[in-house]
Amino acid sequence: MHRWFEQTPAGRPGIISSRIRLARNLQEYSFPAKLDEKESGEMVHRLEFGLRDIGNFAEKNFEFSLLNEMEELDRAALKERRVLNSAALLKKNPSGILLSKEEDMGIVLNCDDHIRIQLLGAGLCLDELWDKADKIDDCINERFPYAFDDRFGYLTSFPTNVGTGLRASVVVHLPMLSQGRKFSSLIGDMSRFGASVRGVYGDVEENFGSLYEISNLKTLGQTEREIIDTVTKAAIQLTNQEMQVRKLSLQRRRIEREDEVYKSFGVLKYARRLTFRDAMIFLSQLMAALSDGLVLAKNEVSVYRLMLGIQPAVLQKISDRPLSKEDLDIARAEFIRKELPELK
Amino acid sequence: MLCERCKIREANIQYTEVVSGVKKEHHFCAQCAKEMDFGVYAAIFDGEFPIGKLLSGLLGIEDDNQGPDKLHQIACPTCGTTYDAFVRDSRFGCSDCYSVFGPLMEDSIKQLQGSLLHTGKSPVNQNIESLSESAAKTRGKSIKDETSEEEKELSELDSRLKEALRFEDYETAAVCRDRIKEIRKGNETNA
Repeated sequence: MHRWFEQTPAGRPGIISSRIRLARNLQEYSFPAKLDEKESGEMVHRLEFGLRDIGNFAEKNFEFSLLNEMEELDRAALKERRVLNSAALLKKNPSGILLSKEEDMGIVLNCDDHIRIQLLGAGLCLDELWDKADKIDDCINERFPYAFDDRFGYLTSFPTNVGTGLRASVVVHLPMLSQGRKFSSLIGDMSRFGASVRGVYGDVEENFGSLYEISNLKTLGQTEREIIDTVTKAAIQLTNQEMQVRKLSLQRRRIEREDEVYKSFGVLKYARRLTFRDAMIFLSQLMAALSDGLVLAKNEVSVYRLMLGIQPAVLQKISDRPLSKEDLDIARAEFIRKELPELK
Repeated sequence: MLCERCKIREANIQYTEVVSGVKKEHHFCAQCAKEMDFGVYAAIFDGEFPIGKLLSGLLGIEDDNQGPDKLHQIACPTCGTTYDAFVRDSRFGCSDCYSVFGPLMEDSIKQLQGSLLHTGKSPVNQNIESLSESAAKTRGKSIKDETSEEEKELSELDSRLKEALRFEDYETAAVCRDRIKEIRKGNETNA
């Protein structure tokens, strides 16, 4: 069974993945932060029972787990694979998740909101994901009345989600554009346009891996299609500009770029210890070079899968014993050596 | 340079915020900076609500000028979320909070969302009512189920509280709230 991020990306270069998230709350309960343990347990149980056969409608096999009974490491790994958000990691009261085997569809129960529907897919596919999310949403709503107001729309715990409850996001790879001096003003333009851009990994000073997440800033006052359209346009706009810069670099600095990617590839292939930061930077260079045709892989490969595979909790999960920071760097290098594609 | 908040005192604290990679510099005086609590801004990047905590900044500053005492007394009758907690966490406690705190923060929501009117999809097979109607319905139900005098009084107080809040009559609201608390407390000890 392939998970969604293990598929080789097709379509637009530079666009890694798409995500649709819907926040919903039931009419008859207070929002999760105000529910005590007993109420939480009762609601999660009712939802689990009521949504048992939801897989038939989504054409997926869902498996239910109680998040509060799950090992901390498992939860952290799910967060690194983008299935859960940080709120789900901290939750103490009963909360649950219905998750498809491919991890591309998840319904989280009783975290920030009563219901959080999330769909993930490789490449640019917000429209398809929305169609599916819309169906699942209706299907749940037929069984459980939602908290809804004709003015404010779907009511959510946070005022930043009220209205459609929709967060549409796309992860893009912008290694060259993000180095340019104009990048910050470009991001400013995007926010005027209604899209927020933030680095996926790294900190404020430095981004590791040049992955950026574009998502809608607003959830109220626009239709779902308009929101998706805004995010899709922003993603296409940014990746188009990235590709222009990359094309220029191939014309003007081909040898530098070849040198850079072969050196990075050498490190990834032979290193015995790799920090997360270094591994992300080298993988990012390989990702760009493969997409530009600067180097060719013998077999098709998803570099993004490697990027997800070297996250701390995911690596810990593969190992049979707890790893120290040094052990983690060793395990990371080992994982990359094993999974790195051969070049032609 | 003068402090950009009070525009009276000399700015001696420089505060740099980076939102979505865009750097902005602010200049505040020590007094304003102390009052503003930058902790909430540090939390902006937490989780997937990049602007969630910003509300507390917006509302928190506002309530300095608007007589905080009155606002502090407001609480949601359904879930008990207080105005203070609401401002601190930027989080609603239940759907009724929208009718309690909604009128107080329409400007902030508008600032945050750019709009106050939902135009997206609506629930299926569900009678859409405005918040006050649905609240009235829930109250009606509880009267039918329990038919106790206290329940009746609670629901009356509840509507009086909401009415008072709507007209910003905080004294009456506080009285109603205290009475509701009293009755609820009594119920708990009886049960």
